[in-house]
Amino acid sequence: MTNELKLNNVVSEQKTKAPKKRRSGASLDRRKARAGYFFVLPFLFGFIAIYLPMIWDSIVFSFCRVQIVPGEGQISEFVGFTNYMEALFVNPDFVKTLVTGIKELAFDIPAIILFSLFMAVLLNQKMAGRAAFRAILFVPVIISTGLMESIASQNIMDDMGEEGIEQGTETSTAAEIVSAIDIQALFAGMKVGTELVEYVATMINNIYDIVNRSGVQMLIFLAGLQSISPAIYESCSIDGATGWETFWKITFPMISPMILVNAVYTIIDSFTTDQNTVMKFIDTVYTQASGGKEISSAMSWMYFLIVILIVAAVAGIASAFVFYQKKD
Amino acid sequence: MNAQQTGAPQITKETKNKIRVEFERTPLKERLKAKFINMAFVGGVLWYIVRFVLLLGIAYIVLYPFFTQIAGSFMGRNDFVDVTVMLIPKEFSIDMYKFIILENEYFTAFGNTLLLAGSTALIQTFVCSLVAYGLAKFKFKGANLVFLAVIFTMVVPHQTIQYSMFMNFRYFDIFGIIKFLSGNATVGEIGFLNDILANINIFGAEPTSKFLQAVVEDGAFNLNNSYWPLIILSLTGLGFKNGLYVFMLRQFFMGVPNELEESAYIDGSGTGRTFLQIILPLSVPMMITVFLFAFSWQWTDDFYTTLFFTTNKTVLMPDVVDIPTSLETDYPGQNLYYSAIRNTCGLLIILPLVIMYLFCQNFLVQGIERSGLTAD
Repeated sequence: MTNELKLNNVVSEQKTKAPKKRRSGASLDRRKARAGYFFVLPFLFGFIAIYLPMIWDSIVFSFCRVQIVPGEGQISEFVGFTNYMEALFVNPDFVKTLVTGIKELAFDIPAIILFSLFMAVLLNQKMAGRAAFRAILFVPVIISTGLMESIASQNIMDDMGEEGIEQGTETSTAAEIVSAIDIQALFAGMKVGTELVEYVATMINNIYDIVNRSGVQMLIFLAGLQSISPAIYESCSIDGATGWETFWKITFPMISPMILVNAVYTIIDSFTTDQNTVMKFIDTVYTQASGGKEISSAMSWMYFLIVILIVAAVAGIASAFVFYQKKD
Repeated sequence: MNAQQTGAPQITKETKNKIRVEFERTPLKERLKAKFINMAFVGGVLWYIVRFVLLLGIAYIVLYPFFTQIAGSFMGRNDFVDVTVMLIPKEFSIDMYKFIILENEYFTAFGNTLLLAGSTALIQTFVCSLVAYGLAKFKFKGANLVFLAVIFTMVVPHQTIQYSMFMNFRYFDIFGIIKFLSGNATVGEIGFLNDILANINIFGAEPTSKFLQAVVEDGAFNLNNSYWPLIILSLTGLGFKNGLYVFMLRQFFMGVPNELEESAYIDGSGTGRTFLQIILPLSVPMMITVFLFAFSWQWTDDFYTTLFFTTNKTVLMPDVVDIPTSLETDYPGQNLYYSAIRNTCGLLIILPLVIMYLFCQNFLVQGIERSGLTAD
């Protein structure tokens, strides 16, 4: 009897204590949410205090015209859409460059993604010297950026090794590995269409450029390939699937989210580099004497909007085909 | 029993724990035939060869420009007009290296860039992993919005905001605080700031007194021509391609099992300590990958450095790319010669990166293999 009574007492004490404790501190979820804010705080602060004002300034700037008045310094005057009108209708080259730039983008994305996926699949297989090949193929990611790109764009040395100096002194582009005509002759009988042949030919001729620019994509694909469970491949080989079937039925669907990520990344990356045609053009406008800075920022905002639309379209279309593995 | 199956293996018990199995093996020739002469094996060997040749070819494409550049960097002046010279220099000289190092202030640029790239890369790696961890592991209101903001900073090209970025750091002031503080002050009244500013000045801003005067006159800091713009951008995760780092690290942290942190919480560790003592040591390969990217992209950067460093007081890597005065000539091979000199500058710039890469590439591959990147 006494024992039971004591037990009851203890239970009732616990019952009364428990709600008190909950009131005293925040719940785990809320505490975790607070910690989450703490972790993203540096970025959030910078984004609100530094980045958004810069973006706002830049947008406002594209609607203004700055004039230097002696004695009073710079005075900016709101001029509405004048800069945009000037970029679109007065400047003779902007629209032309824009179209070329978007065409280049349409060419680059499939080439880079196909190449990097192919290389990632190759580099994921076990073979002699895999580490060495990986190390070499990632060299451009580390080295061919910024300053080195601008040095490489002035470089005429590469021609020298292949053709000797006589031809090398002319600033011609690197020797073409294959010409479209050769391949056309090869594929004359097949009905593949000249556009496709030319596309492949330019892709092979630009292989150096493509290798240089597909480093990060290769990394992302490789990481995606590593995350596919080996058990799936094992069961495939037990069921007698060939390598080709395994690739299209297993690897490709499993890697499809990475294709989406890479497509978006490639678009962003290729339109933000300094070597981009439109960006180069905008840079030349930036240095113009009168109103160059304002017009160039109007131009880059227009270009930005177009690219955002492209990214949204690509992401929208691709996400319909992306396969997500269900997690248990 | 033996009479029933002649081909079957014979098992005899020798001792308590030992048995002896005797069976007829198929002859060696047959076995080799079965192993090597079939479609799977031949196909495998062919694929192996094709793959190897293909990779070798692509590795060659990557490395070939470096071969020509290295070859060109050791050539003398006359080699550039000599038709018979191909890759191997006839007139061996190290003049290019000598004059670039002596006249283009290579070592000054090296030291300055090392300080700049090292500090920004360290800060960026840490800040990005903080933000990425917050986004990957905590559910809070607006987390998706923050992630969208990260992607937004990645999408806006830096050229678009270059002018406002320049102006922002030319007249640096957060929410007008400095303008408010220094509104009616004269240089004498805020002299106590001198000590603080003297300490800040290690990053090469203008001499303190002048700097202070400018602050009072403009009502804002002029941070250009110092390392501060880049450090502030790094501290807030807005540096070059920081969105990509946050994305990569977020995917990595999402792959880290939750049980690990839960057990740490149960043992009484707070979120900060869990992050520092459990998550960070776990993600060293990935963080080295990010550091490598951040360091080398800052090292060869010519956008931010030329934007913020308008005077030539701080010599950085972009200033090295120049034709040394001792090598200026005028002769038929001039274009090629100058091109070779610029390439040599490039080689000197990437040399430290290559050395660092050789040490870190192992981590790079490890970082990928453990990341278990998934896009959901």
